[in-house]
Amino acid sequence: MKEYSDIEAKQSGNRAVLVIGGGMGGIRAALDLAESRRDVVLIDKSYSIGGLMTRLDRTFPTNNCDLCTISPHLSESGRQLLIDLKPMTEVEKVEGEAGDFRVTIKTKPRYIDVEKCTACGECVEKFPDWVHFTPGLDPRAPTCMRYPQATPYAFSVDAEKVTDFKALQEVCRAGAIVPEDRERTETLSFASIVLATGAELFDPSVLDNFGGGKYDNVVTGLEYERIMSASGPTQGWLERPSDRKRPSRVAWIQCVGSRGINSADVPYCSGVCCMYALKEAIVTRERFAEDIETSIFYMDMRTCGKDYELYLNSAVDDYGVRLIRCRPHSVVEDPETGNLSITYATDEESCHKIEVFDMVVLSTGFRVDEQVLELAGRLGIDLDEHGFAQTENFKPVATSRPGIYACGVCESPKDIPETMIQASAAAAEAGIQTPPAPQEQEEEFFPPEKDISGEPLRVGVFVCDCGANIGGVIEVDELVRNTGGLAGVELAEAVGYGCSSESINRMEQLITAKGLNRVVIGGCSPRTHETKFQDMMRRCGLNKYLVEIVNLRDQDTWPHMDQPEDAQEKAFRLMEMGISGISKARPLTENTLPINQNVLVVGGGVAGMNSALLLADQGFRVYLVEREKELGGLARNIRTTLEGEHVGAYISDLIEKVNSHNRIQVMTRTIIVDHKGRPGRYTTGIQTGRGMHYMQIEHGVAIMATGALANRPSQYLLGKHDKVMTQMDLDVKIEDDPQSVRDMDQVVMIQCVGSREPGNPNCSRICCQSAVKNALRLKDANSEMQIFVLYRDIRTYGLYEDYYREARRRGVRFIRYEPEKRPEVRDAGEGLEVGVYDPILGLPLEISADAVILSTGFAADDETTEDLSMMFHLTRSDDGSFLEDHVKLRPSDMSVPGFFVAGTAHSPKSIRESITQAQAAAGRARSLLARQVINLGAAVAKVDGAKCAACLICVRVCPFNVPFINADGYSEIDPALCHGCGTCAAECPARAIQLMRYEDDQILAKLEGLFERMN
Amino acid sequence: MITAVRKPMEEIIACVSPYDRILLAGCNECVSVCSVGGRKEVSLLSSALQMHFLKQGKTLEIQEVTLERQCDPEYVEELVNSVDSADAVLSMACGCGVQTVAARFREKPVFPAVNTAFMGASERQGVWSERCQGCGDCVLGITGGICPIARCSKRLMNGPCGGSTKGKCEIDTDIDCAWQLIWDRLKALGLENRIEEIMEAKDWRTSRDGGPRKIVREDLAS
Amino acid sequence: MSNTFEPEIVAFCCHYCAYTAADMAGSKRLSYPPNVKIIRVPCTGKVDAIHIMKAFQKGADGVYVAGCLEGDCHFKNGNLRAARRVQRVQALLDEIGIDSRRVEMITMSAGMGERFAKTAREFTEKIRELGPGPVKAAERDFGLSAAG
Repeated sequence: MKEYSDIEAKQSGNRAVLVIGGGMGGIRAALDLAESRRDVVLIDKSYSIGGLMTRLDRTFPTNNCDLCTISPHLSESGRQLLIDLKPMTEVEKVEGEAGDFRVTIKTKPRYIDVEKCTACGECVEKFPDWVHFTPGLDPRAPTCMRYPQATPYAFSVDAEKVTDFKALQEVCRAGAIVPEDRERTETLSFASIVLATGAELFDPSVLDNFGGGKYDNVVTGLEYERIMSASGPTQGWLERPSDRKRPSRVAWIQCVGSRGINSADVPYCSGVCCMYALKEAIVTRERFAEDIETSIFYMDMRTCGKDYELYLNSAVDDYGVRLIRCRPHSVVEDPETGNLSITYATDEESCHKIEVFDMVVLSTGFRVDEQVLELAGRLGIDLDEHGFAQTENFKPVATSRPGIYACGVCESPKDIPETMIQASAAAAEAGIQTPPAPQEQEEEFFPPEKDISGEPLRVGVFVCDCGANIGGVIEVDELVRNTGGLAGVELAEAVGYGCSSESINRMEQLITAKGLNRVVIGGCSPRTHETKFQDMMRRCGLNKYLVEIVNLRDQDTWPHMDQPEDAQEKAFRLMEMGISGISKARPLTENTLPINQNVLVVGGGVAGMNSALLLADQGFRVYLVEREKELGGLARNIRTTLEGEHVGAYISDLIEKVNSHNRIQVMTRTIIVDHKGRPGRYTTGIQTGRGMHYMQIEHGVAIMATGALANRPSQYLLGKHDKVMTQMDLDVKIEDDPQSVRDMDQVVMIQCVGSREPGNPNCSRICCQSAVKNALRLKDANSEMQIFVLYRDIRTYGLYEDYYREARRRGVRFIRYEPEKRPEVRDAGEGLEVGVYDPILGLPLEISADAVILSTGFAADDETTEDLSMMFHLTRSDDGSFLEDHVKLRPSDMSVPGFFVAGTAHSPKSIRESITQAQAAAGRARSLLARQVINLGAAVAKVDGAKCAACLICVRVCPFNVPFINADGYSEIDPALCHGCGTCAAECPARAIQLMRYEDDQILAKLEGLFERMN
Repeated sequence: MITAVRKPMEEIIACVSPYDRILLAGCNECVSVCSVGGRKEVSLLSSALQMHFLKQGKTLEIQEVTLERQCDPEYVEELVNSVDSADAVLSMACGCGVQTVAARFREKPVFPAVNTAFMGASERQGVWSERCQGCGDCVLGITGGICPIARCSKRLMNGPCGGSTKGKCEIDTDIDCAWQLIWDRLKALGLENRIEEIMEAKDWRTSRDGGPRKIVREDLAS
Repeated sequence: MSNTFEPEIVAFCCHYCAYTAADMAGSKRLSYPPNVKIIRVPCTGKVDAIHIMKAFQKGADGVYVAGCLEGDCHFKNGNLRAARRVQRVQALLDEIGIDSRRVEMITMSAGMGERFAKTAREFTEKIRELGPGPVKAAERDFGLSAAG
């Protein structure tokens, strides 16, 4: 492990950033910082990283397997040269100030040398009580295998339980047990700190009415995820805990412990539970059985994220998930059957109903961790009344102490994509205080590559015993003897623990001394150790693609440990296959391209200006292109935020800063007319100014911040009666014409106008908070005013719930309407008449109103995004907003390398959220630019033009639309865009395409090797 | 493009079974594009045949060669060396290719491995439809770019017939009625009147009815 | 004869799901027949029909292609394309008198070690019942070995 001493940090000019918390947010922040060449120390109090997300089953909206999406991130995190990962570590003390923090951290003893530990599992086999099986078992849920790629890939010892350290040491053939390991305290220097400590989940056993922790078949949402998970305690079989039978009726109860006023409740909304309950219900029906009834008891369905409304509609329409709007009274168990009775009442009927379910899932939300409260004290940052880190709307990731940034759930309740955006934003801000590390440390590390073309084949074979893991099942020496005689093999040796530094040194000496030009390692899985051996090759001046790892351990000696003879035979066959395959391997060059360091920002609203400033401040040249004649975008029409900050002043200040920045070239009245180039080197043509003067901009990255349109549908007499206006109109009126506002006696607000309906099916996200904001301001102006808010669901997610509660407290009346029974607005001369059906009274109401305020929200700027997506080859969502590369993990990246998205061009957002994503997009852009070159990997498809029949099949089958027929009349695949799946190669009727690393001759050679002795 | 489909294996097997050494010739033109006779299919067929005969206790030697175009004698010339060591040639090209090979190597039996189907266009990946029957006197200019000869099941020149229902053909409801398509297209072009004009009986002498056809370009021919 | 027959089985496994599931089976020490030999590919979309045919021609008695669950493919739809190719090879095998059950498409997620072991067991058992593949049968019946 890299020791990071005080002195080193000072020498490096304090460029390190401390990231506290190794969940998704912490990992993202650390990766972003490391990619932008900042040293990072990532600490977590647990012994491996991954946080809460590793315990989830599938994530919406793609309902795919988390293991598949998260594992590359974790191993990426472990591999990053600039990230020093310190698990089992906590902060003791923080001194100093931004740019020069001195942080004392305490690391608990692991009693295992992570560098030496090969995760063979011998120790846990012999002494299961003494050792934490880190790459798997989560001690808090003892039957749960977490995930096989846990980072670091090593074990830890529970010293309190160990009675005989000597015995433990003897078991470990890698010599990784360190009984003398002690708790270590060190003081390190940091330029800035990112807090990403997440939150706990609410424990429902403190409630007495829902049976959480009391009845077997009442589980929390997370427990239900574990039950459904392929890596969970039931191996992915859905069965209820009491009798292990498949449930046929499952109910979810929302807002358990959240949005409450009772002693065990918190008042805020946890922001994620509606979506996870829907996901769990959908997956239940999709994956297990369509005849399982799924019912969700909820108060408001808060599906206000990007495309979440579509997910809700699909849950109801396609999957038949039943939604019951109410907060149930209680859950009672029938002790005989284990079945559960839910007692509830709905708006429509004035009596209690009782329904029986086989299983009840409590949708529990976030709770601030007690330890985080203490940590906040040690960090000296302010927390809000709920215990979340206090931030400001216009500085959404900055805590009260300069130099300390917060992201994820420790800042406020939020879901994964929001956490990822905020983490990137926090990393972007934290990185400002530190200069990037010197370029290309890695390259200097390796000698130049030798040309082996024309050399006869000289394969070196090295076989690990991995302690007893391989050596205890098969005769390694015999395997070495047998493989030594195979064609092309120059040398074969047993190397013990091949991944230990001693063995690697020995192999390097042999490779050099014997002039080996190919290497086969018989060891463990290439998934975990390939990089290590590839680096070994590079140190010997050999191409990294000339080594093959034969998976003897995970795929032979482990599963066949009871059949040692068969395992021996299979090991030999696998080695033959590996040797035969590597003989055909070619040295491959990884495609790299230098990156142009200029930035193009499209759109001069809040998001575009924030991205531009952040990057310009860091020395990048920014071209900011705006279609209108002035900067500012939609936010120019907004006066205040819900919390009461003055938006106008903020925007003026922002415009001033952007206009006066000497590295930002602002171009208003500008449109984009053409675009060409490849990742890292783009040329975009624009027409600018009154004369529509044409010019070209060279840039390496682009940020799409083109915003959305303020929706103005002609419904409810909008535009026909001057007392009907939008929330945005009202916002201006309150500020500019206070007297007319004070004179109003009755006001009606109508929500979801032009949103959540055919044509614009998504939720505009901001309207509920706007309505609450303006209702409160109207009450401030005239406390006697009667305000009616006609709504479908109130979606004051997260901490906005506080304002909703406040509005209700101050007498604002909220009346729900169904889309089938919309309110009616009628012209009554001076004023208006509003008719609405009140579902609680069961009666139609007539309200006379001095004004009707429509919450009209956003509409995607379809024309603009269509033009730009054609020009830049970007993808769009169905609603016309820009589509991100990965809805969960890469919410600000776009599918074309070097393109990022920020603000309402991505999805409806508040100003605060737009600023956050602007910072995130800028941070992601900076990470890319910091690399100076793009490494595009080597496993890409190549076309042999002479063989190509230009049949277009590759063009049609490529999942990423990369191949095209070039001017010479044959297919061309840009290595910069190829993802390396090989589909085109497998479909090409002319066999003109080969996927590098997996060429046909290599695969055939493997088959030949495997069946060698038969032919 | 000329489209084709592979013959049933049974038929191919019957053709090659008397021989021990086969030259399997693919073509990198039309039959590659419709994924029936390019390098990949050659390789698959070769593999399948060898395994089939191996099961019968016979080792079949196969040389795989894919020519740029089997209907041009110059390319076919490339088979000269391989053909000597083969007892028979199995061609995966269209009928034109098979005949060019047969004409060049008179002493060798030449068998087709595919059934040549029609002149067609790709609708999408893996789907081809008939578009032209080579009548030698194109009427597309007056039928809105939709050929009644290739696409009307009855080759009606003055359609539609009474069997056209909801835009589909009475022969097979999966087939679009060509005359409905012609009507739609003419309407879109504002040329509805044209449908009223009676097309006279077509002169089929330019088609197959005049015997095998030949094109001679005096300016190019040598 | 068939009592002692040990089939040779090639499994083309995609890196992201099936190969990881195989590792998972190993780390859980789940036993499955050693007859199964894995060839790693980035995506099952890379598995060409010719690779499957060649595997038989080189001596395999059974071949399966193991990819991600539907909707989970790291490359969007490679697993679906692979499934169609497997169907095509099945049809071709039937035409030349080789039982098409010798080739199969299987899907699993990275976490499904149990499923990997189970399918390996089931597939091996099935091939054991079907007896030697084309090459081994020729060897047995005629003393012939494969060409190509």
